[in-house]
Amino acid sequence: MKKSKSPKIRLSKSDLSLQIVSIVVTVISLLLVLFPFALTISNAMKDNTKIYDVPPKLLPDSANSLQIAVDYTDFTGSDAELETVLQEDMVSSMFGIYTKLNRDSIFETKFYGVRDGQTIFYARAHQSQLQLEKDYGIYEGTVLKKQTLLYKDRAQRAANIIGYEFSPDGLSSHPAPTGMQDGMQAKLQEVFEKKFPLNGTLAACDTKQNNWLLLESFVHYMKLPNYMYSKNETISRFGFWAFVGNTVIVIGFAILSQVFLCSLCGFVISRLLPPKAARFTLLFFLGAQMIPFASIMLPQLIMYRNMGAYNNYAALLLPFLYPYGFYVYLFKGFFDRIPGSYFEAARLDGASNFFLYRRICMPLSKPIISLIALQTFLGNWNDFFWAWMVTELQELWTLNVALYNISNNVSTKQNTLMGISLVTILPVILITLLFSKQLKASIMSSGVKG
Amino acid sequence: MKKDSQRGYFWRQKLAPWLILLLPICFTLWLKYYPILKAAYISFFDYDPISQPGRFVGLENYLTMFRTEYYWESWTNSFVFLFLQMVMTFFIPIIQALFLNELRRMKSVISTMYLLPALIPTTINVIVWRWVWHPDYGVANQIVQFFGGQAQTWLSDPSLVKFCIIFPGVIGGGINVLLYLSAIQNVSPDIMESASLDGCTGWKRIWHITLPNIRYIIFIQMIISVSTAMQMLDAPYMFAAGGPSGASTTQGIYIYNSFNKDFNYGRGSAASVILMIVVMLMTMIQMHFENAEKE
Repeated sequence: MKKSKSPKIRLSKSDLSLQIVSIVVTVISLLLVLFPFALTISNAMKDNTKIYDVPPKLLPDSANSLQIAVDYTDFTGSDAELETVLQEDMVSSMFGIYTKLNRDSIFETKFYGVRDGQTIFYARAHQSQLQLEKDYGIYEGTVLKKQTLLYKDRAQRAANIIGYEFSPDGLSSHPAPTGMQDGMQAKLQEVFEKKFPLNGTLAACDTKQNNWLLLESFVHYMKLPNYMYSKNETISRFGFWAFVGNTVIVIGFAILSQVFLCSLCGFVISRLLPPKAARFTLLFFLGAQMIPFASIMLPQLIMYRNMGAYNNYAALLLPFLYPYGFYVYLFKGFFDRIPGSYFEAARLDGASNFFLYRRICMPLSKPIISLIALQTFLGNWNDFFWAWMVTELQELWTLNVALYNISNNVSTKQNTLMGISLVTILPVILITLLFSKQLKASIMSSGVKG
Repeated sequence: MKKDSQRGYFWRQKLAPWLILLLPICFTLWLKYYPILKAAYISFFDYDPISQPGRFVGLENYLTMFRTEYYWESWTNSFVFLFLQMVMTFFIPIIQALFLNELRRMKSVISTMYLLPALIPTTINVIVWRWVWHPDYGVANQIVQFFGGQAQTWLSDPSLVKFCIIFPGVIGGGINVLLYLSAIQNVSPDIMESASLDGCTGWKRIWHITLPNIRYIIFIQMIISVSTAMQMLDAPYMFAAGGPSGASTTQGIYIYNSFNKDFNYGRGSAASVILMIVVMLMTMIQMHFENAEKE
């Protein structure tokens, strides 16, 4: 790296004020650019109660992990009965804490069942997990109370989904906490006495701060599609990845078809057609792109429906099967600058048109191909309306359509929504930062010509 | 023998290019030109999707459409959107690029940061900004109240909804900043140097040298920006679905509603045709002005 050594010129007053204003304006702009990201990150890390705080806080609260031990020494009955009782207590204590102590930022609840000072039962749930169960899972549309929580086999099902370990002989790997935390004990006893009575007696409780739990929320946010569209086979199986897959298919197809079609047309227009015909053909392609989407969406929909290209991949992919005028124009401009002697030499040796395209143009046009691929990606990453119009089946949704539908669902919480959004754009941002140099170079080169 | 080679020449020079182009041209005709002609065709019918194309009604679709107030409101909305976009957001990337170019260091890092807004799809932008505009929990009302203003309902307020939809654009950034920046950097150094020798520095240089030299790209961006503003569809639809009480219904949403809500394909097609004519006319007028200015 060569440091640019500018000789010290004294700045004029005008230059100085310009410098200062430039720095100020740029800093403000950067803050504005980063604002949506900051908002998204901070909201994604808040819990379901804190997102509704007024005034909204910029920084999320730190996450707490609550451990409770419940004693069953006095329990008389078989081990199977004990397991059922433990499952019920686990579910009602977890959901009880989740609903009643919602202001305490308890992101994780650990439940220990203890007998004779030995841990026999251990379960752990993240707050977002309970949230999902409440919104879309077993407890969808129920008011959380002791009776509703334990109705029929609900407690068993919930316990099995959350997961637990039970062994009457003792679980040595999960030592239960000892001692009571004063403030927490009072709160917990209030919860358990009033609304969510337990079979055992509260023996110990402890809270620890653990901010990694904020990041664990994202793992559960991503399970939202599995829960929300659990009736759909594909989505309940692949979850969020189904939407990612569709987006990759659509954009990948768009890139492939645009690179191939536009380079072919650009080659023919630049090298094979007489000038007049070339101009006309180029205008033909450019004109097609001038037609506003809003103007043809209706006849396009009718046409596609008549062809049967509705609610399937054909409907999503067909619109990319014609060359975009602007890209043809870029390719033509690039091929125009390849020296004609290359082609003449090859032609004298009897090369076919196909050979000229395949062996001369393509190897030289790596920069333009990457530019077109990039432009196609940026252009279609944003595509929404058409994909939304033609897809009723959930397994056909692209990321944008899925996000729109999820965001319009009444029971979606804002933190979940922001978390999913963040996970969606993060890979793209990382790739951009990684390849920023090439990216900027290609964007800038396209601008000069346009 | 001779004839054969002649035919070979003809084949290679004249016919082959068109044969290669045949498929792309056919697909373009089929996927782009045919639908717009079809829209014009449908607009003359009382279109019936089951027994196509239905009853021929001539210009009636157009005439009834022109008589409804809702249609003209959607045009007003479109133009208000256009106006707001030009006033609020169009100049921001230019300003950002101009000042970015003046910086001595960190130029490359900052230009990468300016790229970030281009990577956020509209869907996510809408998710974020709907939360900002939320009447109870949003940041917007907090800021307004901090400065002693009244809390607003933002997206549910017909007089504010257009402002709220356009406002996210003020963060600027995106690809346009880079386009302007490259245009600024491509201004010939000779001009800059001779200007600075003549004492044209600082603000004067920006005003008298840089801006006039990037006029062309600003103009191109303006044409693109006008035509996209007229076709606005995604953002108003996602923010407010054309509401409240039709205050954010653009032409695109009007067309969508006329076949999706009212099942009136004929009227939707009529609106499609008019929209296309208007967009084309506006582009042509702008181009004409630019050409006139050049001469």
